[in-house]
Amino acid sequence: MATKLSRRDFMRAAAGSAAAVSLAGFLSPYIAEAAEAGELPPVIWLAGGACTGCAVSLLNCQDPDIQDVLLKVISLRFQENVMAAQGEQAINAIYDVVAKYPGQYVLAVEGSVQIKENGKWCVIGEREGHEVTMLQAVKDVGSQAAAIINIGTCSCFGGLPSADPNPSESRSVADIVKGKPIINVAGCPPHPDWIVGTIAHYLLFKDVPELDSAGRPKMFYGRIIHDNCQRRQYFDNGIFAKNFGEMGCMLELGCKGPIAHCDSTTRLWNGGVNWCVQCGGVCLACTEPQFPNWPIYERMAEMPIGPATTATVDQIGFVLGGAAVLGIGGHLAGNIATGRIGSKKDHDKEEGDN
Amino acid sequence: MIKKMELRHPLWVRLLHWSNMISITMLCLTGFYIHAPLSFRLFENMDNARTAHFAFAMVLFVGVVLRIYLAIAEKDWPNILYHPIEDTKKLPSMIKYYLFLAKDHPYYGKYNPGQKGMYTGVFVLALFQVLTGFILYKPEFFTSWAYFFGGYLVVRILHYIVTWIFVLMVLVHVYLDVAEGIPVLKSIFTGKIPADFHHGYHVDEQGRKIEPERGVSA
Repeated sequence: MATKLSRRDFMRAAAGSAAAVSLAGFLSPYIAEAAEAGELPPVIWLAGGACTGCAVSLLNCQDPDIQDVLLKVISLRFQENVMAAQGEQAINAIYDVVAKYPGQYVLAVEGSVQIKENGKWCVIGEREGHEVTMLQAVKDVGSQAAAIINIGTCSCFGGLPSADPNPSESRSVADIVKGKPIINVAGCPPHPDWIVGTIAHYLLFKDVPELDSAGRPKMFYGRIIHDNCQRRQYFDNGIFAKNFGEMGCMLELGCKGPIAHCDSTTRLWNGGVNWCVQCGGVCLACTEPQFPNWPIYERMAEMPIGPATTATVDQIGFVLGGAAVLGIGGHLAGNIATGRIGSKKDHDKEEGDN
Repeated sequence: MIKKMELRHPLWVRLLHWSNMISITMLCLTGFYIHAPLSFRLFENMDNARTAHFAFAMVLFVGVVLRIYLAIAEKDWPNILYHPIEDTKKLPSMIKYYLFLAKDHPYYGKYNPGQKGMYTGVFVLALFQVLTGFILYKPEFFTSWAYFFGGYLVVRILHYIVTWIFVLMVLVHVYLDVAEGIPVLKSIFTGKIPADFHHGYHVDEQGRKIEPERGVSA
């Protein structure tokens, strides 16, 4: 009998293409169906060195509605911003899940993990009279999780808290927990579709989506901003904005579009209304591992040439070029004074020119 | 009287020298425009400059690969590859000559250690430019390579620094060749150099300087 496309394979293909064309709402009935067999998969959302921006971004999720996500798709057991429980009761909810579903729940981490003073720089709660640090929580919960989904650049790569000089010694989750499948949903904040799409993909297929070299799902981070930018034609035509608010490509104002991986250009934010460059801002490349360790409104970082001293490559080049010209001038004078150039010329004439 | 000439640069050396020279010049010019389109207004638009940059990048890539292949196949590589021990030993006499502390220098072979160092450096830097250039050309494919260097912005800066090194190198290279004598400059066009052109003194087995037979003053 020839192999037929099973119902599950068909769903898989349909859901995959739905995610690719950002029809996230199309996913929820399938996920609900997948979840029918058992309970809703438990998800723990920990926030460390975070600004809550990623959580707010998720709450702005429109398609599917955040209510559908929370009530029909996942069972969110711990989330500081939206949960009703407080204090030790809330912290106990984390450890209840760890004890009850070891190896079955998903850990979502927002924000970086502070390791200075054994994690004392970031205390997220109290349990049995002792403080619970983010470091301890990520270690306890992450080591028992089925998978870890990092929400936002801070938990993926360190992000803002780990930017120089990093007084709190912030680290990414991958530096703390080893040996678990980790999916990086980078962005500052990530688009709600990227968060829901990645979580849905994992819960539906029980498998990590195809990742790029920075651990980000290729379906959302496979393209370069610059290649689909609405202002791309300005770049090709050599029209560059010198000030904000002007027409033209904003490369000279520090836009990092040519190095940023994500699909904001086509997906659009706030329910498909607008996105960073379209509303007149430069791309900060917030999905990149090096964000934000670069000057945001300059095209190229300056070179460190000494303690607390920087210079542009052009300045160094012009100084070295000037030094080279001076050196050549001096050497030329020496060559003439010692008769090296003159003697060669005489020698040439003596022998006849070809 | 027809001067007796000997072959210094075979045809393939000259062809590759000029093809590489043209592509490096064009890459530097287009590169400076791509770096600062508002102040370095040499091209009409970014599309032209980038197309030219990518086209000449391919020419340079092929030129460098061909040059390496022929250097090995034609056994030219001992002439241009800097030998860390042999050439470093010869370096002091060359520096003395260039600083006017010595009137003449010993015979070094086709190129002196400074030239060999520079040509070896150009190869390494050209290959580095090809690598970083491809990373910047297709950022969606060479992501992991870019992160190896510390991100695209670092790659971009490195690519630009090496451009400046090329410009400075060309400056010194052209000056020293002209200073060495017009026949040297001519030889990269015609390939030939007078057979009695002075390339430095030779030493005999006891290390004594052999006086040149004719026509050369110190």
